[in-house]
Amino acid sequence: MSNRISHKNSRVDLNRPLTFTFDGQSYQGFAGDTLASALLANGVKVVARSFKYGRPRGIIGSGAEEPNALVQIDVGARTTPDLKATQVELYDGLVAGRTSGWPSLAFDLKSVGGKFSRFMPAGFYYKTFKWPTKLWPFYEDIIRRAAGYGKSPIEADTETYDHQHHHVDLLVVGGGATGLLAALLAGRSGLKVLLVDDQSELGGYLLSMPNILIGGVSASTWSANIINELQSLPNVSTLSRTTAFALHDMNMIQAVELLQDHLPHAARNNAQRRERLHRIRASKVVLATGAFERPLVFGNNDLPGIMTASALTTYLNRYGVACGKNAVIMTSNDLVYQGAVDLAEAGITVTIVDTREQINPEWAAKTNQLGIKVYVGYGISEAVGSGAVQGVQLVKLGSLKNVVTAKGPYVPCDVLASSGGLSPTVHLFCHDGGRPQWDDARLAFVVSANGRAKDGIFCVGAITGVFALQEGLAKTHDTIAELLTGLGKTINASGLVLETDEIAVTPARRIFNVPDGKDGYGAKAFVDFQNDVAVTDIHLAVRENYRSIEHIKRYTALGFGTDQGKLSNVNGFAIAAEALGKTIPEVGTTTYRPAYTPVSFGALAGAHVGDSFEPRRYTAVQTTHERYGAEFEPVGQWMRPWYFPKPGEDIHAAVNRECLATRNSVGMLDASTLGKIDIRGKDVREFLNRIYANAWSQLAVGKCRYGLMLDEAGMVMDDGVTACISDTHFLMTTTSGGAARVMTWLEKWHQTEWPELEVYMTSVTDHWTTAALVGPKSREVLAKLCTDIDLSKEAFKFMDWRDGKVAGVPARVFRISFSGELAYEVNVDASYGDYIWNELMKAGKEFDITPYGTETMHVLRAEKGFIIVGQDTDGSVTPFDLDMAWAVGMKKPYSFLGKRSLARSDTSRTDRKQLVGLLPEDPNVVLKEGAQLINSSDITPPVAMLGHVTSSYHSAFLGRSIAMGFVIDGIKRRDEEGNNIVYAWAEGKAVKVKIVSYVFVDAEGARHNA
Amino acid sequence: MFVIKCPHCFEAREEEEFSYGGEAFVARPTSPETESEESWGDYLFMKRNPKGWHWEMWGHSTGCRKFFVLKRNTANHTTVGAWTLAEARKIYDAEEATA
Amino acid sequence: MLNSTTTNISEFSPVMQSPLHPFGLTSKQEKVNDGKGVWANEIPLLGYISLRGNSQNAAFVNAVNSALNVALPTQACSMSYTAWGSILWLSPDEWLITCKRDQRASLQGALETALADIHSQVVDNSGGYTTVLLKGKNASEVLHHCTVYDLNMLQAGKVVGTTFGKLNFYLHQHEDGYYLVFRRSFADYIWRYLERSALPYGFGIAQLNDGL
Repeated sequence: MSNRISHKNSRVDLNRPLTFTFDGQSYQGFAGDTLASALLANGVKVVARSFKYGRPRGIIGSGAEEPNALVQIDVGARTTPDLKATQVELYDGLVAGRTSGWPSLAFDLKSVGGKFSRFMPAGFYYKTFKWPTKLWPFYEDIIRRAAGYGKSPIEADTETYDHQHHHVDLLVVGGGATGLLAALLAGRSGLKVLLVDDQSELGGYLLSMPNILIGGVSASTWSANIINELQSLPNVSTLSRTTAFALHDMNMIQAVELLQDHLPHAARNNAQRRERLHRIRASKVVLATGAFERPLVFGNNDLPGIMTASALTTYLNRYGVACGKNAVIMTSNDLVYQGAVDLAEAGITVTIVDTREQINPEWAAKTNQLGIKVYVGYGISEAVGSGAVQGVQLVKLGSLKNVVTAKGPYVPCDVLASSGGLSPTVHLFCHDGGRPQWDDARLAFVVSANGRAKDGIFCVGAITGVFALQEGLAKTHDTIAELLTGLGKTINASGLVLETDEIAVTPARRIFNVPDGKDGYGAKAFVDFQNDVAVTDIHLAVRENYRSIEHIKRYTALGFGTDQGKLSNVNGFAIAAEALGKTIPEVGTTTYRPAYTPVSFGALAGAHVGDSFEPRRYTAVQTTHERYGAEFEPVGQWMRPWYFPKPGEDIHAAVNRECLATRNSVGMLDASTLGKIDIRGKDVREFLNRIYANAWSQLAVGKCRYGLMLDEAGMVMDDGVTACISDTHFLMTTTSGGAARVMTWLEKWHQTEWPELEVYMTSVTDHWTTAALVGPKSREVLAKLCTDIDLSKEAFKFMDWRDGKVAGVPARVFRISFSGELAYEVNVDASYGDYIWNELMKAGKEFDITPYGTETMHVLRAEKGFIIVGQDTDGSVTPFDLDMAWAVGMKKPYSFLGKRSLARSDTSRTDRKQLVGLLPEDPNVVLKEGAQLINSSDITPPVAMLGHVTSSYHSAFLGRSIAMGFVIDGIKRRDEEGNNIVYAWAEGKAVKVKIVSYVFVDAEGARHNA
Repeated sequence: MFVIKCPHCFEAREEEEFSYGGEAFVARPTSPETESEESWGDYLFMKRNPKGWHWEMWGHSTGCRKFFVLKRNTANHTTVGAWTLAEARKIYDAEEATA
Repeated sequence: MLNSTTTNISEFSPVMQSPLHPFGLTSKQEKVNDGKGVWANEIPLLGYISLRGNSQNAAFVNAVNSALNVALPTQACSMSYTAWGSILWLSPDEWLITCKRDQRASLQGALETALADIHSQVVDNSGGYTTVLLKGKNASEVLHHCTVYDLNMLQAGKVVGTTFGKLNFYLHQHEDGYYLVFRRSFADYIWRYLERSALPYGFGIAQLNDGL
């Protein structure tokens, strides 16, 4: 059955047939079709089953407003759920599937007996499925399967997406008549203009009304002329298939462009994006977003074959599809008449049911001429049909009140359309706080043309409630003139004739819900199709005392679907207002939030995927680490070698080997990621005294010192070794993850509190490659490469630094140790980083030098009892909690950052959690990091939490497990005899643990001083 | 997603270039040791957090790395201006004096 | 002395690697042609000197001017091109000086000498930065995929610090292309992000002139 007609202004190319499938069946369409128009052309009426009741549903709209025709497009990695068939452009080979109807579209279990509905009143989620809680997953599974909605792809996306930033003088949203005119007028003035439109071609509703004359030429010629001129202007760009979905502060508009989904697979370009997210910063914005037609609400208004009047007209004029042979159109206004005339002229039998007492005499004459029967003062109380609409029952309406005064005739039909007026598309206007106003004459929530002019937002066309084309064009001219005047520019409208041949509009009837005279016991009348919200549901919500429209929305799910209530909201507000005994403006609207239409995760992610998802920072030695087979772990943004497994080794074997090699001979760690800050100026010592907890006044040139950095609350925020290069020059190191934070911290205090201190700081983190040569043989290895530094124990002591040459490269060598071993940190210009690493490896070969990663570093430092900020601290730990009073210079004259807080009653309590060493009684048990420490193995509640484990490892050197953790009053509880016992509880097990000192290896420091 | 005109770069830049630095003009007590438990606690933890106009510090993180002061309406992100710390101090003090 | 018995240092032949070395750009470069919309390459192993000082302090500015024999750009976001490289204004008290690597030591030495008694900071950061030259008919478009900055405002002679993806960089435009200056450790991310962003336009590794 084909409903396709050859129509002179149709945008469909009947010479280019396309084949597609829907729900497993093959059909033919044409280039220029949407999936919806092609399905309607093929006579497909049922495209979905409804959410709650499983009722058959057809296509209602022709664009973003469509609530029913949610389809699954394509298969495999490209499959996309819940696209609106009205927005899917047809291409050859398109595969579309249903997203609802279980087990099939023809038979939906929910519809059995049609009686499921009594279990699903408004709020059914809250009422029916709440108890018992443990059954909720079961309910949810059944509900979700039955409700429908498509399936997400389970394969990785093979296509790419990106973001693009724009900065324009003017963004025009909407490429209909007024948007085109606005863009042209602004473009002529020289402004940098961007026009975005969601359709495949510009023109907006003119594409549906091609017969209207503008300035004496057809609408299609008029818009083609404007589009041609726009394309000739170098300062104007247009983006089609681009939906502006959000408007943020200061006119940041986000829009998503579909670049390839309209193309057959073979024509798609792998180098091109599937979608692009445009982020547009616009000095001025013109919203020409138009309006959606609002259907009237009546009994069985969800039968397939029922649509909006504008959709019926659009399918006829734009796509050459007659949705039936015998059409009934119900209206409250003049807007439907041109479409009715077009239908009649295309040979379709048309009946109009006009709810008004009087109709426009000009339209009365025209319809009469074409043999269109018009029932004046009637409404449709109920549509009749099984599976699709077959006729309508009319009722005579009261002249003043929307009540039934008499039963009317039954009129058979195969398609039914309605119009209750237009609802302006005000979404973007409202995303950042704007509110629409109810216009009682136009029966719509509208925005004024310059209501947000101070924000640079102007509105033209139907969004302002101006629904007639000629008036809209004239007002667009005036609004753009105002906009340009504000910019000191003048408007140039030469050659533009803006008169149309429209028939003047007469008033509409104020009606939303057509009465059926049955007091709520009649056929179900739907307000929101996607969520199956009927008039009775809104009434129930009001009876149950919901008063705010926001609450009624949430209780009934009105406007919750992927269509976001574009057809239903205003009807819902009006029906709620009536039930509440309030006016519509008193009830108001719900909140408009981004996104206007659904946006794919791909578009939102853009190029932030895969290896460019998050910055991965690498050291200069990366390729060598890879050659040595390193496994990596992220440390902040850095990717650091984690361990270097040899063939057949797991992480434990590798780490044990690396630890022993380092303690017994020599290992090497890439420490380049440590933050390094060069600080200079005559006040550098004073600056460090204020920034660090410990004292810096006496540190001699050539020496290094460990420092603890506290925040103002007295909590440890970073640590590291800082070297005195000269009296006015220090080099600070920070933790790898904390470098940027510390740099900002230093700058902030210097700029805001102590600008009088003469210091400057510069990050040199990336400049230096740092190779930490660690172990008893490190001196011998370094000696092979370095002749100009005296490496002897006496000349180059622990915590000294020296400048020299290593392997022929200028180097700064620090004799510092994060392992407790004899160690040298060799720093060279990172350009030589890979070179120096390889030279050190060669030099260390005779000692079986072993590269190691962060895991071994962690074990070695824990054996020595060195903390890691961020692992053993969490922002709530003072130096005293760490038993590190030695790193706090309480006698310094200036009250260093955090000092006063160390004396606060809470921080100076003696029973705080304090860092201790923990030895599991069973040396083979490695505690879980994060395990709770408790007093006994009995976990009958309540159980007092004494603390937790922060670091825990197997120490190959000690041949047993070790750990660090916090325990209330821990410092006092340390007992090397092992008499102070707690239990570490994790994952259902309690492990007996002794509280000891956290220095497990070489407490006296003989090794690092060697 | 607003725009800030950096008073050092003299150019309107996207918010992504900046980072928030907390309430402006929270003066560090000159003699912390003599502050009471309560007054030090106020300095540390008690911020104005108004709905409406707020003097706040921002850093131009990706740009000049300078801290400056922005007067911003926390309810709708409109801004009056951005000034260097020294410029802002004068305006702020004058405003506080008349408040 | 323990290390008296060690190897003769003349045996060493130190090798430098630029931050984008792992991408092997040299072997991929080709002569710029119309077939691709975006061309880029690393200008490897330049010298970079970080300079800090007070631009309101005439003594500082004069000392720098005489040491470098060129006027220090003190206007916000301005820069100077010199015979040996460029000076980028980063903030009212911070500049990044780029030069050929073999001139770094003498320039730094001249600055340190001239600024010996003036509050300032001169730091060799040559290992810490690199520069990528980006050109081609779609160069601005591809940058608009990477940065929030409005390139319409980037005239020649101007330098801005802004975002690149989730990181930051310095950007200026000179003669035929954009210069992207960023930290060594950002190189992997920035290059991959650039490559990914340029894909739709065609991306080539440009042969560099002998100069910059």
